[in-house]
Amino acid sequence: MNGLVVRGPGTRALLWSLLVAVLVLYGFPFAYLLLTSFKTPLDTIAVPPTVLPQHWTTANYADALSRDGVVPSLINSTTTAILSTLLSLLLAVPAAYGITRFRTLPGRVFIMGALVARMVPPVAIGIPLLSMIRALGLIDTPAGLAIAHTTLSLPLSIWLMASFFEAVPDELDEAAVVDGCGRLTALWYVVLPVVTGGLAVTAIFAFLASWNEFLFALLLTSVRAQTTPIVIANFQTQFGLDWGAMTALAAIYSVPVILLTLILQRHIVAGLTLGAVKG
Amino acid sequence: MRRVDDRTFATLLMAPAAVFLAVFVAWPLVRLVVDSFFEISPIADGPRSFVGLGNYLQALRSEEFTGAAVRTAGYTALVVTAEFVLGLAAALLFSLLGTRSAVFRTVFLYPLMIAPVVAGLLWRFLLIDNFGIVNELLSRIGILPGADAIGWLSNPDIVLFSVAIPDIWLTTSFMTLVIFAGLQNVPGEVIEAARIDGAPAVSMLFRIILPLLRPVIAVALIVRGIDAAKAFDIILIQTRGGPENASQTLSLLIYQTMIRFGDPGLASAMATMYLVVMLLVATIAVWFIWRPGAVRQ
Repeated sequence: MNGLVVRGPGTRALLWSLLVAVLVLYGFPFAYLLLTSFKTPLDTIAVPPTVLPQHWTTANYADALSRDGVVPSLINSTTTAILSTLLSLLLAVPAAYGITRFRTLPGRVFIMGALVARMVPPVAIGIPLLSMIRALGLIDTPAGLAIAHTTLSLPLSIWLMASFFEAVPDELDEAAVVDGCGRLTALWYVVLPVVTGGLAVTAIFAFLASWNEFLFALLLTSVRAQTTPIVIANFQTQFGLDWGAMTALAAIYSVPVILLTLILQRHIVAGLTLGAVKG
Repeated sequence: MRRVDDRTFATLLMAPAAVFLAVFVAWPLVRLVVDSFFEISPIADGPRSFVGLGNYLQALRSEEFTGAAVRTAGYTALVVTAEFVLGLAAALLFSLLGTRSAVFRTVFLYPLMIAPVVAGLLWRFLLIDNFGIVNELLSRIGILPGADAIGWLSNPDIVLFSVAIPDIWLTTSFMTLVIFAGLQNVPGEVIEAARIDGAPAVSMLFRIILPLLRPVIAVALIVRGIDAAKAFDIILIQTRGGPENASQTLSLLIYQTMIRFGDPGLASAMATMYLVVMLLVATIAVWFIWRPGAVRQ
């Protein structure tokens, strides 16, 4: 720990109360979403609004899940995100290994290229991508959408994996190669087991990029492959402003990934801050 | 079996990802730029005619485009500044409190996992006229004279600020975590020495801590700046760019020009200019403040 820590008890008490206030404010919006999802329709739009439900009910959840397309959309979201995560890792792991281990000029050019790809606004490539995915016969399928989502997650995955590989000493795989391993075998059996934490972080970010994505899902799917963010957004037009069912579905969609985050939080913090701290 | 040399092996490893990005990112960009010189009928395989720079001139002459460009810059500056100030404050707070505050950093993580669509809808609900809880609570503690005193999303003068709130809420945590991690690497002796010299807290922050954190802050600002400039769904879901286009940023304008008004050529010209400016700004920022890889040599 560094010298920033304050020791005076009075100041510490003040800072702690400040922290609690900040956390309450920061946590309130999502807490209010959860509370609203347990309100009755009348409570939801009551004037003046109340923080706590007057009558607790799970009707919104039953309502949201029983609507057309909601359950299939959850399946689609999961399928698309898993496909995109696998594709992203499959492409990023060898690429990042090639960039960090051999330090060739093409490698340096490529990692800068990946950074440029990260800057491209999705709206700029959306329409050309639409006609390409259509030409491949993958329009309105999880596979087609997963390809589009991988264009978003791949650059970040390459950067993350490259920084994790940097942390592994070169001697490790060199020793394996000297011992007679092929270089691919060394990557698979010697290097990858050392960076499983990094793989997990990269996988989570690739998964979230797809899970939470909206624009490509809007352009590339219509009925069969529609993902849940589109369905949530449609709640407001198709059925009037239906906040009860919307908050329930938003909770169903968000709570699992938030729990996953809490479980894996130490790894995620490492992944988020790694590149920055090294740079 | 003949072994390939290291250079070839490295290239083979990179090839699949490079081909993927070339096909699904670079090629669409080429088509975007080509399309920007044509007048294109929105129906599939409809007629197209070469118009040279016509689409560019049309975009630059329209107040919609220049307005959206200004709003995008304003939105990005607002989001990044707010996140930086709040993120730095939170990171300092966590650092001042030491290891025992570690558990609470977790609470800071959770908005990062929430879909922008959900965040946008949630804040629209919190800020909605009539039954929005924010105005209700603000008026109850006496900050606002009444629950209908501010029309967050209906007043064109402040709507660009209001639509930025969920974006700031979602990713201030990113800024906090990155700056916090950077703070952990500030050598304790430096702080200790300054403290013994009796340096006041404010000058310690601006003279010692912030300069030491410069590379970390640069990365965080660039990453967030790029993302904020691309903001689409979070604004679309709150206001669809309204009222009176007051929250219409470039992403929304390009999308609407393409889909709703069926003018792919004009939309492509707008997107090309948007992309070129963004790449220029980001490249300059990366080159001069960050220089990735430079530390390794």
